[in-house]
Amino acid sequence: MSLIEGLRLALESLWVNKMRSSLTILGVVIGIAAVITVVAVGQGGQAVLMAELQKIGTNVFAIYVNWQEGEPLGEHDFTFQDIAVIKELVPEITYLAPTYYIPSVVRGPKDKKPAQVIGTEADYAQVTNVKVVRGRFLSQGAGTTRAVAVLDQTLAGEIFGRLDPVGKRVTINNRPAQVIGLTKEESGFLGIQTSKRIYVPLSFAQDISGQRVIQQMEGMAANQENIGAAMAKAIKVLERRHNTKDRYKAISLEEQMKIAGKITGIITLIIGAVAGISLLVGGIGVMNIMLVSVTERTREIGIRLALGARRKDILKQFLIEAVVLCLAGGLLGVVIGAGGSVLVARLAKWPPLISFGTVLIAFAFSVAIGIFFGLYPAGRAAKMNPIEALRQE
Amino acid sequence: MITVKQLTKVYQSGKISFPALKEVSVAIEKGEFVAVMGPSGSGKSTFLNILGCLDRPTSGSYFLENSEVSLLNEDELARVRNQKIGFVFQTFNLLPRLNILRNIELPMIYAGTPAKERRQRTQEVLNQVGLLEWAGHRPPEISGGERQRVAIARALVNQPNVILADEPTGNLDSHASTEVMTIFKKLHRQGTTIVLVTHEQEIAAYARRILFFRDGQLIKEEITPVSPEVNNQ
Ligand SMILES: Nc1ncnc2c1ncn2[C@@H]1O[C@H](COP(=O)(O)OP(=O)(O)OP(=O)(O)O)[C@@H](O)[C@H]1O
Ligand SMILES: [Mg+2]
Repeated sequence: MSLIEGLRLALESLWVNKMRSSLTILGVVIGIAAVITVVAVGQGGQAVLMAELQKIGTNVFAIYVNWQEGEPLGEHDFTFQDIAVIKELVPEITYLAPTYYIPSVVRGPKDKKPAQVIGTEADYAQVTNVKVVRGRFLSQGAGTTRAVAVLDQTLAGEIFGRLDPVGKRVTINNRPAQVIGLTKEESGFLGIQTSKRIYVPLSFAQDISGQRVIQQMEGMAANQENIGAAMAKAIKVLERRHNTKDRYKAISLEEQMKIAGKITGIITLIIGAVAGISLLVGGIGVMNIMLVSVTERTREIGIRLALGARRKDILKQFLIEAVVLCLAGGLLGVVIGAGGSVLVARLAKWPPLISFGTVLIAFAFSVAIGIFFGLYPAGRAAKMNPIEALRQE
Repeated sequence: MITVKQLTKVYQSGKISFPALKEVSVAIEKGEFVAVMGPSGSGKSTFLNILGCLDRPTSGSYFLENSEVSLLNEDELARVRNQKIGFVFQTFNLLPRLNILRNIELPMIYAGTPAKERRQRTQEVLNQVGLLEWAGHRPPEISGGERQRVAIARALVNQPNVILADEPTGNLDSHASTEVMTIFKKLHRQGTTIVLVTHEQEIAAYARRILFFRDGQLIKEEITPVSPEVNNQ
């Protein structure tokens, strides 16, 4: 019996029991759909992550104090000199800015809003790709305590209304400052909004908070190739200047992203595994129904054997039935899964990624499930004795 | 064509063993029309099932066309069932959900016959049993007599050496029985070897030779007189 004939026999039998066939594949459909959705959304998320990284630049990094428990705070804090020295000694670093983030409330003539105050200096605009649309950004020289501020234009609009904010006063946590420029929100990294930001000179930020702290340094290497060298050299300079070891850490944005990517990958894997279990349950469902079907069709099997079917013909027929069922389930599952991932991705605001590989694996898996869970019932069918099978009512 | 020697079949159920067939020896020549008669439980079906390679004897030998059937493996037996034997059952044993055409095609599918030849052969045998116009119907849509004719067509389709029929008219009324027996008679005239189990004297009368079974033994053989009433029907 050829494969085509076997396929035809199997399709005939499945078609005869349309209702049962469709119920049988339901488990596989749901399983495949779930796996496809999870993987597509997960891979979509990772793709977005990587695309964002490309946009921001793979040569951005941060240096921070690796504070250890028990140490007095501020022991190894950065100084303004550190920054100047690093910039001088490490040619691989093109821009380096100190940063100090303070949550705050800003008040304008029209309204007040919560906002993120970032104490920094001129380089920060280069590192984080902030675009100035009016006035100017902070000047170099982080030591200045001048009470000036650069506002995001959206935030400015909210607290100033239609007035031109440049040259006007705002208060930040009740401390007055003069607006010197407006920035425009770039398409936020991973949807993180930069629209609620105010940039002020670092020393002024320290005045606002009352603490003489530089939280971290954010910098940009000349290019992606020498970012590793740039970070290592900067750390070395710091260690020499502060006469310590292992107190400073540098991490590139790319590394951070990779960690994030790894985490989303693991989450995808875990959810995918759970979805995979439903696929397993679907497979067991197929086996269950196939066993019922074999028992019910005992007489049919007897007739086929009497007409000259070999055991392997019977085996083949039932196995093909199981595989066709699972493959149909897989097909439907992929379609539903594709729909599901578009839906979920729309909620998560990133494009789903259904790769050809995923679909191929889904089909391969369906076939494997069909074979795995179809083998036992098909084997039972093939083992039947013709006379006993024919005697069955 | 068929030679069995000391054919014995013992059914074993638990500790109880039941000899359904005891040392039956008989030879059936090519072209013969043989009827098998006997009371219920006398082993007729057991005998026919062994001839049809649906069952294996406990002991004894069975030669079909000079090959010893008990030496064949499973696949070879399947091939014998497929190629050399056409079985007709009392309960027709058609697949109810396949149409008549597909039912008749089944033995050829297992034989690996190409589709074109299958179609041609199906037409031929359907024509032989006079059911050409029913090809697209399913078994439940036709009468019992017609179903049995389909079953005969299916038995014939691979041009077997012998037709084995176990009470083929057992479920039919007398009119349908006559129709079916007319086909057997015609087949016999064309030279087909037929072994047919029956309870009824009138049916057995179609055969040239009758084997009588009792308690698993072949107790008597009769050559039927050429009775003009039967043959002129
Ligand atoms: N699988 C089996 N296990 C045990 N005993 C069996 C089995 N099959 C048949 N028998 C017994 O063997 C004997 C012969 O059965 P068989 O079917 O050959 O009789 P038969 O002559 O065809 O009868 P009938 O005219 O009723 O069809 C019967 O007593 C039956 O009960
Ligand atoms: Mg019987």
